[in-house]
Amino acid sequence: MGDFFSNLVLGFGVALTPVNLGFALIGCMVGTLIGVLPGIGPVATVAMLLPLTFYLEPVSGLIMLAGIFYGAQYGGSTTAILVNLPGETSSVVTCIDGHQMAKNGRAGAALATAALGSFFAGCFATVLIALFSPPLARIGQSFGAPEYFSLMTLGLISAVVLAHGSVIKAIAMVILGLLLGLIGTDGHTGGQRFTFGLVTLSDGIGFVPVAIGVFGVGEIIANLVGGAERRSVVQARIKGLWPTREEFRLAWPASVRGTVLGSILGVLPGGGATLSAFAAYALEKKVARDPSRFGKGAIEGVAGPESANNAGAQTSFIPMLTLGLPGNAVMALMIGALTIHGIQPGPQVMTERPNLFWGMVASMWLGNLMLIVINLPLIGMWVQLLRVPYRLLYIAILLFCAIGTYTISNNTVDVILTAVFGVLGYIFIRLGCEPAPMLLGFILGPLMEDNLRRAMRISGGDPMIFVERPISLGLLISAAALLLIVALPAIRSKREAAFQEN
Amino acid sequence: MQRAAFRILTRSDVLAGLMFMGVGVFGLWASQGYHVGTAVNMGTGYMPRLLCWMLVVLGAVIGLQGVLANGAVSTDGDASRWRPLVFVPLSILIFAFTIERLGVVIATLLLVAVGAFAGRGLRTLEVAATALVLILFTVAVFVWGLGLTIRIWPEW
Repeated sequence: MGDFFSNLVLGFGVALTPVNLGFALIGCMVGTLIGVLPGIGPVATVAMLLPLTFYLEPVSGLIMLAGIFYGAQYGGSTTAILVNLPGETSSVVTCIDGHQMAKNGRAGAALATAALGSFFAGCFATVLIALFSPPLARIGQSFGAPEYFSLMTLGLISAVVLAHGSVIKAIAMVILGLLLGLIGTDGHTGGQRFTFGLVTLSDGIGFVPVAIGVFGVGEIIANLVGGAERRSVVQARIKGLWPTREEFRLAWPASVRGTVLGSILGVLPGGGATLSAFAAYALEKKVARDPSRFGKGAIEGVAGPESANNAGAQTSFIPMLTLGLPGNAVMALMIGALTIHGIQPGPQVMTERPNLFWGMVASMWLGNLMLIVINLPLIGMWVQLLRVPYRLLYIAILLFCAIGTYTISNNTVDVILTAVFGVLGYIFIRLGCEPAPMLLGFILGPLMEDNLRRAMRISGGDPMIFVERPISLGLLISAAALLLIVALPAIRSKREAAFQEN
Repeated sequence: MQRAAFRILTRSDVLAGLMFMGVGVFGLWASQGYHVGTAVNMGTGYMPRLLCWMLVVLGAVIGLQGVLANGAVSTDGDASRWRPLVFVPLSILIFAFTIERLGVVIATLLLVAVGAFAGRGLRTLEVAATALVLILFTVAVFVWGLGLTIRIWPEW
């Protein structure tokens, strides 16, 4: 316990320096901004700003990038409540009851509930990270190559299982990502893979052009093809931010439930903000005494999901920071950022760079504090932003995509790749293939191959090594169990659909 | 009959399956010269070829599911909306090919001008104003503020 406090003191020492406070603030502001604006999400934004962090101290860069991710969870609810349009995918369910509350003249209460719920969830999740990361990292330190390979397999499988949409397509996307990650020079043999004699490809393709292309440019094409969205900002002035006593009585237990659920789901690979929000909404509907109130402006439908998505966003840092295992696309980019700074992601980060780890944890709590100020008193400013029409906004996003990739290393090939992956990203969206598993595979690909090779060296080419080691076996069994579980209801729902056809 | 076959072909699962199989086959073709090696001593081609085979198999399963599925969603029907698909990537490519020689001001101008064709309801004055604001923002923030080495004006 003494350790816990001395670590926190160390963390706040790092996070409270003016520079790091400044970057946390920038991250939270940018996060809120892109959270409020539909059509651009945290993945594309983090990828765009990544090149800028090359010039910063690693801890400052990570503090800013983290702020973008959880800041977006705050901002997303504003748009959901006021415009009935999810600013982020994790706010989709907030639209249902949040916008209804706004129509009933309770916009202020809905916004305050979302922000206060998120703040509570953020504080809780930060404590969880501080408590559970050290023991997890200690377990991680005993891992060898076979365990790491199995862990990554489990990570990728559960990312696939928990993503929405077709499981088999998601698996194919993971493999596509792994394959893209192999492009370039093979580190073990020095052989060239899929470079087609092009010198620029011998270093492989960077993850920033892939992420910006697929999540930034691809999104834009899909939005434009899909046609103009119509926005109706609730015009009435937001009066009275405070919930009534009755609203508060209903909201706080929902917020607690959402926080706990989101914290658990966030740790799982593939979990994170979006899944947490959906699960929390379903939970609230189930425990409510009168479920028919949902869809008509039930405050629990805002408090639960909004707390859950922020909790989930934050606890998804736990596997990334302790094991080097990214659970979602943003965490995959964080791993990439660490690697660029020359930090090998994994359990040793916490012991070798305690100021980086604890500084980030402390900054998360401070960031949540900033966000509540950014989002409640300054709400009017963000509402104004919603009046910028998409036909102007997408041009700005497009430009930042181009500049973001160019500034990685002033290399025009990266910009060209962004355009290529933009088209691919659009194709993926049209064909119903989730791009997030591909990015995870892309980032984990080289690491997985490396660990597989080492495991095979240890065992002399015997794949039984993965089931002979207890931890590795346990991880693989969990992965198989996950696949089995989704296979069952999938079969059931398919059959149901077939029956309906007749 | 031909129409029905075409409708099956344009189902998103069928197309996705074909895409994955296509990538897999292409990868197998491209990696045919790679040294595969053994499990103990993996060569350059071991992982790529393994993954390509997995893609081919998965693609076949996905495509078959699409063919067999009843009432699957077809993706055809909006071929008229090709503009974003052409002008969005084109604007980025133009940016890529002009930034080094002509500088960020002209590259941004071109990106905005070409990119604007991707949207609907194009208004010349509005686009011009957007371009101006974005150019000022870019130069102020990225070049002056962050001190990135980006050429501002063309090399005379």
